[in-house]
Amino acid sequence: MTESLLELKEVQKGYRTYRFGKEIECLDALNKLSFNVGKGQIFGFLGPNGAGKTTTIKCIVGILDCDSGSILINGENIEDNRLESKNKIGFLPEQVGLYGGLTPSETLRHYGGFYGLDEEEIKERGRELLQKLGLSKDSERKIRGFSLGMRKRLALAVALLHKPEILVLDEPTSGLDPRGVKSLRLLLKELNDDGLTIILSSHVLSEIQEICTHVGIIDKGKLVRQDDISGIREEIKKTEIKLSLRVKDFKDKNAKKLNKKKGITVVSQKDIGKHTQVTLKLKEEMIPWVTDNLVSDGVKIFSIEPHKNSLEDVFLEETGSDNS
Amino acid sequence: MNKLYDFLNKNESWKPLIVSLTVILLVAITHKAYWETTTETNPEKIWDGQTFTVENAEEDGNQVWNIDFEQNVGDVIVFKGVLETSPKNEVYQNFTTGGFIDAEGLVYTEDLYGKTMLNVGGMRILVNGNLSGEFFESEIVTVRAQLVKNVTTFKNGGQDTTLFREGWEAEPEDVELASEVDYYFFGIESLIFIIGSYLSLKRIDNLNNQMSLMWHLAKFEFQNGVKSSRMIVLGLFFSLFIIGIGWVLGDMQDTEVDSSFYVESGNHALLQFCFFTFFVVSLAAIAVSVDSFHKERQTNTMSMLLARPITREAIVVGKALGLTMVIGLPAFVAQVVGLYLMVSEGDIPSLGGIIAFLLFGQIMIFTMISFQFCFAVIARSGTDVVIYGLGAWLLFAIVWNLIVYAISFAIGIELTEGFETNPEYQALASHLGLFNPGYVYQFAVGLLTHRTLAIDMGGIPGWLVLLALVLWPLTCLRVSTWLFKREMKG
Repeated sequence: MTESLLELKEVQKGYRTYRFGKEIECLDALNKLSFNVGKGQIFGFLGPNGAGKTTTIKCIVGILDCDSGSILINGENIEDNRLESKNKIGFLPEQVGLYGGLTPSETLRHYGGFYGLDEEEIKERGRELLQKLGLSKDSERKIRGFSLGMRKRLALAVALLHKPEILVLDEPTSGLDPRGVKSLRLLLKELNDDGLTIILSSHVLSEIQEICTHVGIIDKGKLVRQDDISGIREEIKKTEIKLSLRVKDFKDKNAKKLNKKKGITVVSQKDIGKHTQVTLKLKEEMIPWVTDNLVSDGVKIFSIEPHKNSLEDVFLEETGSDNS
Repeated sequence: MNKLYDFLNKNESWKPLIVSLTVILLVAITHKAYWETTTETNPEKIWDGQTFTVENAEEDGNQVWNIDFEQNVGDVIVFKGVLETSPKNEVYQNFTTGGFIDAEGLVYTEDLYGKTMLNVGGMRILVNGNLSGEFFESEIVTVRAQLVKNVTTFKNGGQDTTLFREGWEAEPEDVELASEVDYYFFGIESLIFIIGSYLSLKRIDNLNNQMSLMWHLAKFEFQNGVKSSRMIVLGLFFSLFIIGIGWVLGDMQDTEVDSSFYVESGNHALLQFCFFTFFVVSLAAIAVSVDSFHKERQTNTMSMLLARPITREAIVVGKALGLTMVIGLPAFVAQVVGLYLMVSEGDIPSLGGIIAFLLFGQIMIFTMISFQFCFAVIARSGTDVVIYGLGAWLLFAIVWNLIVYAISFAIGIELTEGFETNPEYQALASHLGLFNPGYVYQFAVGLLTHRTLAIDMGGIPGWLVLLALVLWPLTCLRVSTWLFKREMKG
């Protein structure tokens, strides 16, 4: 079992509305949220829009206070020494905000100043990071001419400047083109290989599936599932898949026969021109039995397409959003 | 009691300061009690207690007048009050003509020449010496006076009249500035405040670290601010305005006395200069603070900043300091140039006034920026910030006098010709002025043009003006940090 680096214990958080300084309304965003992230993990934080991902991240990085509960880093409550805990965290917000009139070097100097780093240290570490992030050629150019991808990379350099123990990324790939997403993914893997613990929130499930070692699913401010990615993969394997068949001469009796077989369900049956589109729900190992039986019953199979389960299916199931 | 206990427990770091403020309050009460028990702080009451009687009892038909006080002849009282008039204008000269003067309760005679009739808070005290240049109007003094009785014979409308007059008299050395005692109390109070603040600051975690981050942020705000095109245009505009006003105020000292543009002295010009500096600089302060929070939120630089190991208090103070430098530096240069032009055309104001004009000018800018922060933190859009800021500027710089007139009218002060010299109106205007940072700046500079802080500023004591000068920025900072920190609650 990996050592826990970050732990959230029954964190409660609400957003308040004030009128003339008096609180008149409080909407719950996090509802006794608990989870923990081990050292060296890439923890994917999943959830539909409005689930509380960004609120959780803001509480972790110290932008917001929790109403109750606690957030521990290395076993220490961040409330006890908020400034020290901020030193341990690098943060990349979803909407990257940088001063357009500054160059990357100046930006790093500005943000590095908050961590007590001296000029030389910032220069050296900055050069190293800009090189790694492919921005060394642009280090003296004004940021206002940068693309979104370049800005994100620079913000990542800012987040990594003080050598944090945890890197927190809120929707890191939003707005990036596929090439940008891929290079960010490779970079994060590289940083993780160097021992950095990463927490990233996203609703792009493929991204989480590709990169994360652990996953937490949040819905309505509550954690509905936490597991390592291999556990989820196992589960995906074990669960039923959907199978689409394009067939000819498929009769009702064939459908009845399939439905009678334990572990097979005919989900839909639709005529498309000369053929029939049949969708089945079954375990992967039953596919040969289905094809053999259909062929022996005189059904002609023109195409067969299995839909493998993905993290998305787990996500939709856990959050109750599966309307299909 | 429990609430107080909870409050103290919640504010562990501020305990020493809270204790010191309590002690200061006790010292202030002792201070007040000291004056109440050792002096007569309402001299006018004694003056109003005199009786004036006329007798026609003498056989030759001559009149006998008597002026008597409730006290006995030989009684000594230490009076404490404001010099209502300038002693310079109250010295009897050898051209002073004879006759009885009701307001002073005596008859002009040659032996009065060279003596001074002080008006201490409405009480007339004859000082056996020339106090011209020794004391000045509005200074708060103590006078150790004795009730004496003398007889004077004079002609009243051709009729011989004998005046048996009781009056209060003092020697020049019996007149002292009240500040000579006040300074002991203020000294003790300041010392307690410094100790309390020091002990409180020592209890704040990472204070040195936060101070350096605050300064880091202030420098960044300054560098960003001075390079912005808005600031270049604005700075040029208000600097030229300040310089121009300085030159005009110097020139106006040469105009005719009855001109409506007449400025009577260097100190008077300095006070006018304060108002015009506030008028333009406060607008600039508001303009630069518009972006301080709202734009940072809009461009998402705020969340980048909030994730750094810097407290929200340090962010507010750092930003306020940085923007103060953005406006303060060009304003300071323009003030110095404007003063030079003013002095080269007119009188030289007092050194204390000049220093206060420049130094308190920076405090005024800091106050206006912190004040604007209160709106900038809570505003939902840039337009809101601008509207709130302009509203505040209009209130403080333009419509304030109208409000004072309206309140005066509402409470029954007659706004007829010369109402501005009416003590009731002056007292109201001065008290209301403490709620306007522009007037506080003007009052504070006016106060320091005097040689003592024991000055009556139209019904308010000098120390209250200085207190207001300190409380304004502190209150604005406290409110803006409280609002900014409230965001963390969500």
